[in-house]
Amino acid sequence: MTTLIEKLTPTFREIFEDEALQLTTDTTARDVLGWDSLQHVTLILAVERRFAVRFTSAEVADLQSVGDLIALLHKKGVADA
Amino acid sequence: MSASHVERLVAYAQTHHPRSIIGINESQASAPHDFERIANPYLSWCEMALGEAAFEKALGAFARFSSDVNIAQARYEASGQYEHKSFAQCNDEVYNSAETMTEYLWGVYLSNFLWAHHLELMLFFEQRFIKKLGESVLIVEIAPGHGGWGLWALQQLKHATLVGFDISVTSIQIASSLANASGLATRAQYRQMDAMTIAEQPTAQAEACICCFLVEHLEQPAKLLQAMNHVLKNDGLAFFTGALTAAQIDHIFEFKQESELYLLAEQAGFRVIESRSVAPSRLLRGARYLPRSMALILQKVRSI
Repeated sequence: MTTLIEKLTPTFREIFEDEALQLTTDTTARDVLGWDSLQHVTLILAVERRFAVRFTSAEVADLQSVGDLIALLHKKGVADA
Repeated sequence: MSASHVERLVAYAQTHHPRSIIGINESQASAPHDFERIANPYLSWCEMALGEAAFEKALGAFARFSSDVNIAQARYEASGQYEHKSFAQCNDEVYNSAETMTEYLWGVYLSNFLWAHHLELMLFFEQRFIKKLGESVLIVEIAPGHGGWGLWALQQLKHATLVGFDISVTSIQIASSLANASGLATRAQYRQMDAMTIAEQPTAQAEACICCFLVEHLEQPAKLLQAMNHVLKNDGLAFFTGALTAAQIDHIFEFKQESELYLLAEQAGFRVIESRSVAPSRLLRGARYLPRSMALILQKVRSI
């Protein structure tokens, strides 16, 4: 089974241009170089495309960690597979 | 020695809003002395107005506001048009919600100096507009929102007075709370009024008018310039700002060129004395639009 964190990892690596980036559910912007408010939106759009979902502005603003993003994807019906 | 307001804000942002810190640092580095000179009193007023946990509330609002702006700009990049087209849509979703407006206004308040390009506009306002005014002018501020622009003018002009008209009760509450916090309340009055009706009513003839970032929220921007003309004496000066190809949830009139704002002003009986168009240095990846904020200093040359 491929977990969501495994599915998200290539997207994070591409956006933040870091092939060695390792994600955990506790990973936040403090842990990833370049994860500012603009790159956050670039990341969100890439995740929307990858999983065919759409986030509200409030959801985008409130996301703090990779764990939050996974929980939100679960809420939108995206499952580990 | 205790930490300054700016030092405490930056420390709080590093811990709680790490996505905002690059932009804050950029603004601070763009004009370090002016940043401190403007941010410290702005933050002091904010702390007095909001009370306990002021920075937590205000910086949280700023982070959400910045995120909302970025996501709106990303949707605009994809669709080629602003999300909303009518004032009624925005009225339902934004202006009529005290909670949304409160958060929005505190976010905008901090963006006056935490966004480097808006700090640049603040300096243009202070150094090129306020310095042209006499010490005891009457200023009319149309849609003061948080009130920070007009209060900054009052702080510089020791005998000036200000009357602000805003459609939003929440705006009047926040602007009044900041006027009290800054010790400027005896020279600032705020009244609830729709900017679109100002030209239909008798008002004091002012030497100066301020109207910041309202025009892009309107279906009929020409009426706003008519209102600004109406409240000014002949030769009176106005500071007028607008957003170009810069989306937000409640921006409905899409200005694409700086010349559109010039034309609006000239058609409403003003001559443009100076202007400044600024943009963020960092953009969304692959952006085709450059989101700009433009300020114009206008002089009334004829009544309309």
